[in-house]
Amino acid sequence: MNDLHTGLHTGCLALAALAAAIAGFAALSLAMDRHWEQLHGRWSEPAIPARQWLRAGGTLGLLASLAACIALRGAGQGWVAWAGMLTLAGVSLALTLSYAARGVTRLGYGAAIAAFVASAAALVT
Amino acid sequence: MKEGFRQSMAWLHTWSGLLVGWILFMVFAAGTASYFRDEITLWMKPELHAAAPARVSQAEAIDLAQKTLEQRAGSSRRWFITMPSARNPALEAGWVPAPARGADPQARPKRRTFGSITLAPATGKELGKARATRGGDFFFRLHFDLHYMSALWGRWIVGFCAMSMLVAILSGIVTHKRIFKDFFTFRPARGQRSWLDAHNLSAVLALPYHLMITYTGLVTLMFMYLPAGVQAVYHDRTDAFYADLNGGPAADAKPSPQLAPLAPLGPMLDEASRIWHGAPVGRITVNHPGRANASVNLVLQEGRDMTQHLPNLSFDGVTGKRMSGAGAEGGGAVQARGVMYGLHVGRFADPLLRALFFLSGLAGCAMVATGLLMWAVKERPKHLKARQDGKVAKVGLGLRLVDGLNLGGIAGLLLAMPVLFWANRLLPSGGTGRADLEIACFFTAWGVAALAGLACPARWMWRVQLAIGGLLFAALPLLNAATGGAGLAASLKNGLWAVAGFDLVSLLLGMLLLYAAYRLGSRSVPRARLAGSAA
Repeated sequence: MNDLHTGLHTGCLALAALAAAIAGFAALSLAMDRHWEQLHGRWSEPAIPARQWLRAGGTLGLLASLAACIALRGAGQGWVAWAGMLTLAGVSLALTLSYAARGVTRLGYGAAIAAFVASAAALVT
Repeated sequence: MKEGFRQSMAWLHTWSGLLVGWILFMVFAAGTASYFRDEITLWMKPELHAAAPARVSQAEAIDLAQKTLEQRAGSSRRWFITMPSARNPALEAGWVPAPARGADPQARPKRRTFGSITLAPATGKELGKARATRGGDFFFRLHFDLHYMSALWGRWIVGFCAMSMLVAILSGIVTHKRIFKDFFTFRPARGQRSWLDAHNLSAVLALPYHLMITYTGLVTLMFMYLPAGVQAVYHDRTDAFYADLNGGPAADAKPSPQLAPLAPLGPMLDEASRIWHGAPVGRITVNHPGRANASVNLVLQEGRDMTQHLPNLSFDGVTGKRMSGAGAEGGGAVQARGVMYGLHVGRFADPLLRALFFLSGLAGCAMVATGLLMWAVKERPKHLKARQDGKVAKVGLGLRLVDGLNLGGIAGLLLAMPVLFWANRLLPSGGTGRADLEIACFFTAWGVAALAGLACPARWMWRVQLAIGGLLFAALPLLNAATGGAGLAASLKNGLWAVAGFDLVSLLLGMLLLYAAYRLGSRSVPRARLAGSAA
């Protein structure tokens, strides 16, 4: 493997880890009353199955992010990288929810798609 | 307990955080900068920006360097060599000079003067003489040694503050009733509520980092804070303890009177690299070069394993034969300490992890700063009310003091940090005591800012100091290009990422500070609610 190749692989995995964490946090935040209300109006509440799907999907996103981090830096350093990725993703999501709450769904879907594409690209390169 | 557990923890959180907060902010800010210690040092030596990284094997580079060192420091007692790496393309060598002839070898000179040179790996020749500067080492040392006092005192003070920080973090977790409900919550422009949200957000979202960095920070100095265990076994022979811990011969062996040429270092590096499955050598120590009892110690290059307890190999300096095995791995305790130490200093991190560490460090700065400001924000309405009721004529001394210290400790430091870089480029590059003069400029700027803050803890003073700091930071790329460094255009073109990154991060930080100064003046923010509006 040459330098460019390794760089591309690393970049794809890092992007996948970050995007999966953002998508996961977006889903988890929408499973919370406060943030669901921000999107769907006061006193509204997600239906019980919707909330469960959001929680399951969110958890899955965070775990996918962990898997990408471990693929990136190995079992020891992967956890360190994951903690950093979660911080970065969490701050991005909190800022989105405070300043552009309407965009959070789009951010979540976009991040999920980016995570799929990037992890697929990482498998190929 | 008269109050509930949570209330008493809230009290503990407030005071364990506030009383040491100003030192903690400096420790966090300087420590965060230290993640880019090598890059800062390179930026502060613009003479070296032109040196292109050359691709030669380690064995070739060390053989060339060995020739130069034998000429320059042939009679010295010990050489320290740092091999080129991705973060520092030059080969750095230092040596302990031989004691003057006729002098009592037992008598230690008051301050040992080390010799040092920077070599181009491809030629073994000395690189253009760089200006005298402490570079990024200054922030690194400042964050646990402090300055203008003995390092021992500094470490005790910082250790006390770090312990207090650990108490503040743990009591903060207990106090925070809505960790999960408020996980993503930030409500801007709502006065006290916004400050609390910002404090919670910067604390909770980077909580693993905060806990890790505070705890491992204490671990790095644990032999000093808790010396009893080592003393019980080694008594006062701490040299022997460190030789056992780190491997390699004890540092205080005497040089043999018999002369013998030093074996070539190149083959030793090759052998070590073979044993380490191709991983390169990082640091080399040569004891008593040119003597019959010469020995060579090689340490694996950092940047791979998380542990700071790196494997090392010893060679006989005359025969070139390997003396020790594959490098002492140490027991479980040694490995645990090595990993904690390694996590704290983050030398293992690749650029991505380093950036994440840096961001988490910034979150730490934000957490400490918002915590400090919040005390004043919470206290102010009580004082204003007392004033309106005509009970007191002036703002209380405690609040005024905290306001002043906040200004000097936060805005003042953010102003003084870029002053160091400006002094680095504007002071003449020759002259004695130049490195200390740079540092004196830093502390002078900080001192003036702190005095101004204490004298007049008003909102406009925040704006002035943040704006000056922001301008100084944001203009660093221009200063770099104008004073002989590789400007952004050149550094990006030549792939000099260390210098380009420094410039870009400075620009970003500067704009952030300028935006903060601007926001403090905008009318949309409710005036009485913000910090520093006492006047």
